[in-house]
Amino acid sequence: MCVAALVAVSGGCTGSVESDVRFRINLEGFNPAEVSTEQRQHLVNATVAFFGTPDEPYVFDGTGLDAKKLQMAAGPSWSDEEGVHRGLYRKHCAHCHGISGDGAGPTAIFLNPYPRDYRPGIFKFKSTQRASKPTTADMRRILHHGIPGTAMPSFALLHEDEIDALIEYVKYLSIRGQTEQMLVSRLVEADEELTRDVIVEELTLVVDTWNEAESSIITPPERPPVDTPAQLAASIDAGHKLFLAKEKSQCVNCHGPTGLGDGGDDKVYDDWNKIKLDKPAADFALPIQRLLPRNLRLGIYRGGRRPLDIYRRIHAGINGTQMPEFGPSPSNPKGALKAEEIWNLVDYVLSLPYEKSSRVHEPASVAQRARF
Amino acid sequence: MGKLASLFFFAVPIVGVGFCYWALTNGYNFPVDISVTGHRIDHLFWFIAALTGVVFIATEGVLAWFVWRYDGSRNPDAAKFAHGNHNLEVVWTIVPAATLVFIAIYQMNAWADAKMRPPDMDPTVEVTARQFEWRLRYPGADGKLGTRDDVHHVNDLHVPLDTEILVSLKSADVLHSFFLPNLRVKQDAVPGMKIPVWFRAMEPGTYDLVCAELCGWGHYKMKGRLTVESREDFEAWLAKKYQEQSATQDAPAEEAKSEE
Amino acid sequence: MSTSVAGGHAPAQERNIWQRTKHTLGAYWQPTKQFLGTYVFSRDHKVIGIQFLFSTLLWFLVGGLLALAVRWQLAWPWSDMPVVGRMLFSAEGGQISPEFYTMLFTMHASIMIFFVIIPILAGAFGNFLIPLMIGAEDMAFPTLNMLSYWFMWPAFLCMTASFFVEGGAGAAGWTAYPTLSAVAGAAPGSHYGQTLWLWGLVFVGVSSMMGSVNYLTTIIQMRAPGMNMFRMPMTIWAMFITAILQAFALPVLTAALFMQILDRTLGTGFFLPEGLLINNAEASAGGGQPLLWQHLFWFYSHPAVYIMILPAMGMVSDIISCNARKPLFGYKPMVYSIAGIAGLGFIVWGHHMFMSGMNPALGMAFMLSTMMIALPSAIKVFNWLGTMWGGRLRYTTAMLFAISFVSMFIIGGLSGIFMAATPVDIFIHDTYFIVAHIHYVLFGGTAFGVFGAIYFWFPKMFGRMMNEFWGKIHFFLSFLFFNGTFFPMHILGVGGFPRRLADPYHYETFSHLLPMNQFITICALGMGATQIIFAANLVWSLFFGPRCGRNPWHANTLEWTAPSPPGHGNFDFQPIVYRGPYEYASPETDEDYYPQTQPPPEEAVAQH
Repeated sequence: MCVAALVAVSGGCTGSVESDVRFRINLEGFNPAEVSTEQRQHLVNATVAFFGTPDEPYVFDGTGLDAKKLQMAAGPSWSDEEGVHRGLYRKHCAHCHGISGDGAGPTAIFLNPYPRDYRPGIFKFKSTQRASKPTTADMRRILHHGIPGTAMPSFALLHEDEIDALIEYVKYLSIRGQTEQMLVSRLVEADEELTRDVIVEELTLVVDTWNEAESSIITPPERPPVDTPAQLAASIDAGHKLFLAKEKSQCVNCHGPTGLGDGGDDKVYDDWNKIKLDKPAADFALPIQRLLPRNLRLGIYRGGRRPLDIYRRIHAGINGTQMPEFGPSPSNPKGALKAEEIWNLVDYVLSLPYEKSSRVHEPASVAQRARF
Repeated sequence: MGKLASLFFFAVPIVGVGFCYWALTNGYNFPVDISVTGHRIDHLFWFIAALTGVVFIATEGVLAWFVWRYDGSRNPDAAKFAHGNHNLEVVWTIVPAATLVFIAIYQMNAWADAKMRPPDMDPTVEVTARQFEWRLRYPGADGKLGTRDDVHHVNDLHVPLDTEILVSLKSADVLHSFFLPNLRVKQDAVPGMKIPVWFRAMEPGTYDLVCAELCGWGHYKMKGRLTVESREDFEAWLAKKYQEQSATQDAPAEEAKSEE
Repeated sequence: MSTSVAGGHAPAQERNIWQRTKHTLGAYWQPTKQFLGTYVFSRDHKVIGIQFLFSTLLWFLVGGLLALAVRWQLAWPWSDMPVVGRMLFSAEGGQISPEFYTMLFTMHASIMIFFVIIPILAGAFGNFLIPLMIGAEDMAFPTLNMLSYWFMWPAFLCMTASFFVEGGAGAAGWTAYPTLSAVAGAAPGSHYGQTLWLWGLVFVGVSSMMGSVNYLTTIIQMRAPGMNMFRMPMTIWAMFITAILQAFALPVLTAALFMQILDRTLGTGFFLPEGLLINNAEASAGGGQPLLWQHLFWFYSHPAVYIMILPAMGMVSDIISCNARKPLFGYKPMVYSIAGIAGLGFIVWGHHMFMSGMNPALGMAFMLSTMMIALPSAIKVFNWLGTMWGGRLRYTTAMLFAISFVSMFIIGGLSGIFMAATPVDIFIHDTYFIVAHIHYVLFGGTAFGVFGAIYFWFPKMFGRMMNEFWGKIHFFLSFLFFNGTFFPMHILGVGGFPRRLADPYHYETFSHLLPMNQFITICALGMGATQIIFAANLVWSLFFGPRCGRNPWHANTLEWTAPSPPGHGNFDFQPIVYRGPYEYASPETDEDYYPQTQPPPEEAVAQH
């Protein structure tokens, strides 16, 4: 009898049950005490009407998102229906990136750096200009390769259609989050009512930035030849000089003269953490986290190790961080550095891990020494 | 009560053996073995299973029989006032001891081959386990690890078919364990050590690479894949990876999608 | 404040409020002090034993619930976990996080090993039975004995607190391998939780060492006249040898624990090699070796597993002999086997480290010694069978559990042989085959033995009998569900199903093993539910069980000559021992039992 009851209980608790999971309201940057309950409810109603819930995402016509892919990613884990995977986001991503894509899932507190918060719509590693959104190909790249040196793993072993669904869902969370931020601003600061027109207006602005990404890809000019050792050495040498040239490139200010990331003394923060400065910690899901300039001698390249990737990091900087842009952009058509100079820096940076002084920590092979 | 209890105890060997038989004939078995030496492990396992199986059935059977036979409420005989039997003690000390020593010696060679005799060759690939992925580094065209032409990849380990493979196993942070179920290979990756792991894969295909030592919250997520392919396919794949890694321009759209 | 006259009180009108309060409360002070001295800070080994018993049974509940949470995740991964899901993960709809899973199995094992099995065997039964069985009036060091119980409380508090600190409880496995455990920031629970875990274990170790000193001294020095070493019951031999194991092995663990605490808090590098980059944490001191921890840890933890079974083996010997109404078969071989297990137990620790990266030649050495340790266990099994052979078995609940100890231990012991074979261990290390082995010896073996011991000695502890009918229901259901839970794990292990994975099913190799895991979980839930019967029986019998006399089981050993329960000083006469403890069915007497303290008949004396 006990066993039967247990089986009944356990049978009813598997898989697809009505879930009451909801997106977390985003009031970061505002004093929560200044936002009334009516305002919160108004905001929730608005976002649910236009975006749905974590279990049932809604695709507003203008967003251009694929509803089928969103259905695959949404919902509780393992809630597969008729052979179609569901719950992909919650199974693979939510415990770090959070149900709302806020980068504050339960595991986030333990990670350094924190997982990405999609809601401001700022992404670091992409092929586009600094202020632009990533392209779909950029997001696919991140999912395929992971982000080396962080807790973001490679998801290359998932099926391609699962990756597509996750990319779509991340885009959805970002669009939703950024729209919500705009709406909060209008609701709390301007005390506007969130009518349909207001919401569509903000939503359209956000969606436009995503649509614009494809036209914002940085295509570097052809790289000067580095096929012979002499050419490569010359490029590296030029890059080294540029690296050390304080006024022109500013590299040493943060990365230090040896590229170890020990250049600056001041504490720096990325955009996601800057808003926490001088605000009560209780207003935010995660404590403030410092940003450290990259140690270039480790051979770990978060945004990818192709020369192309390094070029883009220097050209556009890293959006959301203190890494500035050095190439031409819509706001600065001339750019601080010429393309050839950037290629020299790329060669220098890529050569740093192979210098002798970079390789202190090579463990001895067990087969060669008889140690316990 | 004695009868009921003895039925329970009789059920142990009967259901035990029955369950094992059912499991083995219904798809619950060792994963497919594609290695050259893995069969020695499987064989050793079944050999020990046969020996212990006999002991299991015998001792459990005797136990259940005694529970049945010597029920105090039904058994009319007086209890035997026996404190032991010297000869019996000698026999059941020496026989198990000899058996155990035999098993020990029988398997020494398999262990030595698996762990103590690395092939004399340069590593095919360096695998650095880190939280929570397998970082792979193949020596490039110059055949040496640690140079500019190394091919870097993650999680997706390719090896050529029917070739001795030597993996140089490292860890960047905590303990991990390099477990290839289909090759009967397992070796902990220890930070501060570089440990050789060797195998030879005889069947093309894709197989799981599992982390087998708790390494943190993402231990379950540390999934890798071993792809065994012909030497030509392997070389082509490696070359393609190197090309992609050296890219100074975006690949055309179709190629970009298949890149991984 | 007026000063009082030396030794006296100021007159009533002149007392201030403080003195008046003290005077009023003073009336309660003496009875309070007496209550505390009798039931809380008691130096009576029986009270201390019962304190250990209740504490460990409560922790058994906690550890069991943690195990059920683990099983839930393995049966219905990422689903809404009952109770805990909504309490802690309501934002995610009850889906636990991966780090929570690592914490679950870490704390399940840590609690079961250090707060349940070790203290219930040595602390509860060792304490209660040793003086009684050897005819002493108490332990050699009663105050030390009391301290050994109260040193468990800081450990309880540390472990409990670890659940509530930032980062949660330790999550590096009960084996706490560095570098995962040694670097705060490497993992959840690697903040304060892991440090508290380490301190908790330090306190448990101190408590155990105090206990072992006490037991050794008592057994060596305080045996009643006529109780020479080879007339001691097997329970005492087992407790004696267990105490030796604890005394020699624990200091190594304590040292290792302190080394890890230092690595975590003071920046030493005992276990940390240079060049680590864990979770982008700050660089740590290097020059250390992760393997060092493993050696030190297992040097203790292997003898620990024998600490966790030998007392149960001893108690099972006593229970079987008494309920078979027949002498123990092969008393001296049994004693030598226990000694053999203990001695060999010190030289097999490397079998936990075959895959660890230690020199494989060591693997050969440890493989040999590990194979040999199967031998004394086998001898014991044969001798238990020999004890039952030709007896007149009484199927009391205690006897049923004791027989099932033998039955389950056979399985657990035989499965150990697979692991001892190093090439086979390459495959089954860190799979569920190991989990099956662990639980067959620790649950099917020790825990069933403990259940039997509770049913057997409950009358002596509390003067009342537990209910036999519900005891047998408890036995049959536990036996059924236990085997349903853990036998299939051998099959899982053969499939390579790994331990400690929150979701193994995304590997193609293991995805087909989900239904079997669901079956296991359902049996585990059944097993958990069955223990409610046991708990109810225990509590009910404490207050309403039928009263019993001194010797309800008609057993031979000395504790059954004392009142039930015994008062201070245990015996109301000076026990004198005339024979060994297993003289059942002796021709010298009409009864089918022959207590150790019963003087021999004249004729027998004359013949000697």
